[in-house]
Amino acid sequence: MKRRTLLRTLAGAAAFAAALTVSATSGLADDPVKVGILIPQSGPAGLFGPSSQNSAELAVAEINGDGGILGRMVEPFYADVGGPPSDAIQAALKLWKGEKVDAFIGMHDSAVRGALVNLFKGQVPYIYTPVYEGGECADGVYVLGETPSQQLEPVIPWLAENKGASKWYLIGNDYNWPRDTNTAAKAYIEASGGTVVGEEYLPFTADNFDSNLAKIKESGADAVLITLVGGASVGFNRAFGSFGLSDDVIRIGTLIEENTLAGIGAENSKNLYSSAGYFANIDTEPAKAFADAYKAKFGDDAPVLNSLGESVYDGLLLLKAIAEKAGSLDVAAMENAAEGVGYSGPRGDATLEQRHTTKDIYLAEANGVDFAVVETFGSVGAGDNCQ
Amino acid sequence: MDLVALQGLNFVYISLTLALVALGLAVVFGLLGVMNMAHGEFVMLGAYSVLVVQNAGLPFLAALPLALALCAAVGWLLEFLVIRHLYRRPFDTLLATWGLAILIREIVEASFGRDYKSIDQSLPGTVDMFGVDYPAYRIVLMALIVVFFIGLLVWYSRSNTGARIKAMVSNPALATAVGINTALLARGAFIFGVCMAGLAGVALSPLVRVEPYMGLDYLLSSFFILVVGGLGSLAGLLVGSTVIGGSDAIVSAITSKTGGYMTVLVISILFLWLRPNGIVARD
Repeated sequence: MKRRTLLRTLAGAAAFAAALTVSATSGLADDPVKVGILIPQSGPAGLFGPSSQNSAELAVAEINGDGGILGRMVEPFYADVGGPPSDAIQAALKLWKGEKVDAFIGMHDSAVRGALVNLFKGQVPYIYTPVYEGGECADGVYVLGETPSQQLEPVIPWLAENKGASKWYLIGNDYNWPRDTNTAAKAYIEASGGTVVGEEYLPFTADNFDSNLAKIKESGADAVLITLVGGASVGFNRAFGSFGLSDDVIRIGTLIEENTLAGIGAENSKNLYSSAGYFANIDTEPAKAFADAYKAKFGDDAPVLNSLGESVYDGLLLLKAIAEKAGSLDVAAMENAAEGVGYSGPRGDATLEQRHTTKDIYLAEANGVDFAVVETFGSVGAGDNCQ
Repeated sequence: MDLVALQGLNFVYISLTLALVALGLAVVFGLLGVMNMAHGEFVMLGAYSVLVVQNAGLPFLAALPLALALCAAVGWLLEFLVIRHLYRRPFDTLLATWGLAILIREIVEASFGRDYKSIDQSLPGTVDMFGVDYPAYRIVLMALIVVFFIGLLVWYSRSNTGARIKAMVSNPALATAVGINTALLARGAFIFGVCMAGLAGVALSPLVRVEPYMGLDYLLSSFFILVVGGLGSLAGLLVGSTVIGGSDAIVSAITSKTGGYMTVLVISILFLWLRPNGIVARD
C-alpha cells in the first residue's frame, strides 16, 4: 500500500470510529458516570489485578442493573498502577484529563496514594480501598481499607484471652505500613497485659528466614504478629511451619489473604490467624450473595476472592452512597455529605467517619488453605485519622 | 548452646543449597562465558515440575525425570536457536537470555496463573539434631547435596568428558584442532547447566515460595557466589557459596537481616573491585 493511500485509509477509519462513539453516547438519556479504576495489573501487586477487576466489573453490572448512580449508568475506565508513583500519575492523568472521568477508585500502595492525592488536590472524588497504615485525611479522599487500630484493637485482647498470647514477637518488611502497624500493636499488647519480646524489620529482598526463626525461638515468644507482605510472608510462614514452631506459637497477620494462605500451604498453616474486613468465606447473607454472584459471572476457576480484590467492589458501593446522599458527583457537595454516609455490602454495614469506614472486623483461623471466621467484632472504628 | 547448634545447621544448609542453586550458572557462565539471566527461570521450571507431579497425584520423586526432561528440552531449544550464535559475545548473551527469562516467566504465568503455589513436603516434621529440632527434609537434602557434589568432583576430575571440557575452556581453537567437537561439548555443557538449575528447583520447592517470579532471587545470589568464588572450578563454587551464605547467616544472626544482606552486597562489591577473579582464580 502506498503511503498516501495508507494515511487516507487510516483517517477514514478514525473518522468512522469517532462517528460510532458519538452515536453510541448520544443514544443514552444522560452521560454515563465515568469512573477511573486504578488497580495493579503488573508489578509485585499484579497478583491482585484480576480479582480487583472482576470485583469492579461485578459492582458496575449490579449498580447499572439497579439504575446506576444518580440515574446515570456507570462506565468504568481501568488503568494499571502496579508500577512506580510517576507511572501511576501518568495513568491517572490520562483518565482524568483525557477521558474526563468523574471519580477515581484506587487499589494500590501508599506511595501511589500520596502521589495521587497531590495530583488530584481535592478536585475529583477519590476512594482508596486497600488495607493501609492510616492517617489519610485530604479533601475529596475517602478511605475504605482497614487501619492498624481497626485490625488489632479488638483482636489482640481476644487472642490474649482465648489463646494465651502474652509474649509477642513483631516481624515485618521494612517500610511504613509494618512500622505503623507495630506502633499501634504495642499499645494494645501492653493494655492486654502482654509484652513485646522482639521486633524486626526485613528488607524486601529477604528470602531466607532461618536467622529470624532462631531469634523467635530464642525469645520464647508465644505469638507472632506478621506484617511481612506477599512472597516474604509466604516464605516466612512456610519456614515457620517446617521448623515445627506452629505447634506452640500462634501467628496473626494483618495482610494474610487467600492467595498468601494458598502459598503458605495446608502443612504450614496451623495456628495461623488473620484479621481483616473481608474473607472469601464470611458466613453472612450479603457475603455469600456476593461470592455466588462472583462465581456465576466469572466461573469456578475465577481468581480467588480476597480482601484486596473485594475492596474495589465496596469502593463503587461507597461512591454510589456518597454521591446519592450529596445528589451530585461534585467534590464540594460530596464533602458536605460524606460524614455519616452508610452503605451495606459483602463486608456488612459500614459508616463513613472522618473519611474512614467504621465496620465489622473478622478474625479468621486458617483451616488448611481456607479461612474460617472464628470471631466477628461489630462496628470497629478506624481510629483518629484526621488530627 | 542450642542456639549455636541451630545457627550452625542453618549455616551449613544455606551454604549447601546456594551451591546447588549456583552450580548451573557456574557451568554455563564459568565454562561457556554465557551470563545466563534465565538461570532462575530454570529453577522455577524445576519447582513447577513438582507442582505438576503433585497435581497428578504422583510421588515427589517423579518430578526429577520430568524436570530434567523439561529443562533439557527447553535448554536444547534455546542453545540451538539463540545461545550458540552468541558464544564469546557476553553482553549479547546477557540481553538475549534476559529476554528469554521474561518469555519463560510469561509462559508459566499464562499456564499456571500468577498466584502462589504450595508444594507439600514429602518428609514433614522435624528430627533432633545436636539437641535442636530441625526439619527432616532439610537434613536429608543436605546429605544428598554433599553426596552429589562429591560424585560430581570425582567425575569431573577423572572422566574423559571432564578433560575435554577443561581443554575446550582453556583453549577452544586447540581443542577443536585435536578433534574435540567443541560445538557439541558446549551444547552439552549448557544443557547440563540448566538441568542442574531445574534439579535445584525440584529440591527446594517444598521449602520455598513457588510463583512465576521466584527465579529472580536465585539468579542474584548465584551471581554473587560466582563473583566471590571465581569462575571455572567446583572449589570456587563451594568457597563462594560458603562465604556468601555464611556471611549472611552469621551477620543476620548477630545483627539483623538487613545487616546480613548489606554484608553480602559489600563483599560482592569489594570482590568485583579488588579481586575480580574471585578467591579461586582459574588456572
